[in-house]
Amino acid sequence: MNETRADVEGILRASGPFAPERATVRWRRLIAVACLGSSTYGLAMGSLGGKLAGALYSAVKMPALLLGTTAVCVPSFYVFNALLGLRADFAPALRGILAAQGTAAVALCAWTPVTLFFYASGIDYPVALLWNVSALGLAAGAGQITLGRHYRPLLERDRRHRHALTTWFVLYLFVSVKVAWVLRPFVGDPRLETNFVRPDAWQENPYANLFWTAAGLVWGAWRTLMGG
Amino acid sequence: MQFLLSQIDLLIRGEFTHAERLRQARIEIPSRALSVGVILLGALYGFCMALFGTLRGEGYGLTHTLLVMVKVPALFLLTLAVTCPSLYVFSAIARSRLGFRQTLRLLLAATAVSLTVLASFGPVTAFFTFSTKSHAFMQILNFVVFAASGCVGLVFLHQALSRVFETDAEPVEAAEDVPRPVPTLHRRGSARRIFFLWTLIYGTVGAQMGWILRPFIGAPHVDAETFRATESNIFEGILEALRYL
Repeated sequence: MNETRADVEGILRASGPFAPERATVRWRRLIAVACLGSSTYGLAMGSLGGKLAGALYSAVKMPALLLGTTAVCVPSFYVFNALLGLRADFAPALRGILAAQGTAAVALCAWTPVTLFFYASGIDYPVALLWNVSALGLAAGAGQITLGRHYRPLLERDRRHRHALTTWFVLYLFVSVKVAWVLRPFVGDPRLETNFVRPDAWQENPYANLFWTAAGLVWGAWRTLMGG
Repeated sequence: MQFLLSQIDLLIRGEFTHAERLRQARIEIPSRALSVGVILLGALYGFCMALFGTLRGEGYGLTHTLLVMVKVPALFLLTLAVTCPSLYVFSAIARSRLGFRQTLRLLLAATAVSLTVLASFGPVTAFFTFSTKSHAFMQILNFVVFAASGCVGLVFLHQALSRVFETDAEPVEAAEDVPRPVPTLHRRGSARRIFFLWTLIYGTVGAQMGWILRPFIGAPHVDAETFRATESNIFEGILEALRYL
């Protein structure tokens, strides 16, 4: 317990064994914290309407979303680093990425009581969805701070790390949208049947769906403004 | 009792939150005394708040008064419990020296300040209880009083956090590297950002907590009950009260 607490402190502050440019990388501890934190949040996230199955499904799916996306993107990230001549810095770069996942997971874990409280106070599905999106956004922001700390010494050494980092962002965003789409529902509408994934999860195209939803919102706002 | 009052007096005079102590992340506050103080001060305001239902409503009696005397401190302490992990994570990311326990103590101190202010408004609430029959007015008055007390507590917390962040950079180990000191101004900016984000969470949780612990005042036209059925949220409730003002 004390070790986990020390790990959490180290990851959040990017200090101690998790400091940037430390000679050794504690991969297992980083992954364990990321799994534990995101799974705890998933348990709370999926419990809307008191659905135990939903809570357990989300507890499994949250670490899968976080670390599964990373696992899918890491080979391409390695190749880009090698092409840019940054092979020697790959380990510290990957440590920064995993530390960012760890920070996001710990931040999510800290929002768990807030999520449970909102659910217990009887908020409805759209508000729960809004809160969870905000919580994920805040956690992602926290992760960016840690990633920035780990990348600062790398950028000071070689400016090409900026290109590697941009590649990572674009790739991660692209893949995570699809992974999240496949793994949904995470919150789960209490009026609907609880499923681990939606039956048509693999067939749908999330990018086209998101594009047409956004286009519909913009068109609706335009029509309202024009008085139509 | 005398000891308790003296501790609260020292707290609101800032004796426990001297800049020097906070710069060293030393949060030396009498936690037990302040916890008892929070409960008693909350109960005191709860008594004044419950007077309206007791005087103007039917069915609101001693049980309602006792319930509200429990609910007011519970509102603050439960909000503290729900939001403390968030504040800890925010401040750890910004590399403050506060550990979880110190964060908890600091939040307890801020809650005690809020409840001291709230209890001091007790006579004002009691006076208006005797001089008006409008439930909507009492709702708005109490909303303003709670918001003002919460704001004072938050200002206290913000000042304390700023002092914690005035310290030199935390000695972050960076392998064999010499730690890079983070400029004080930058750290103050961190304190401000952390505080702003956390305040959004604290304010929303506190407001919704108050909403689910209703009734506090006791609407004369509604039957007395321990808790109201969960419906809508605090923001819709305030808009509804403004309509009937």
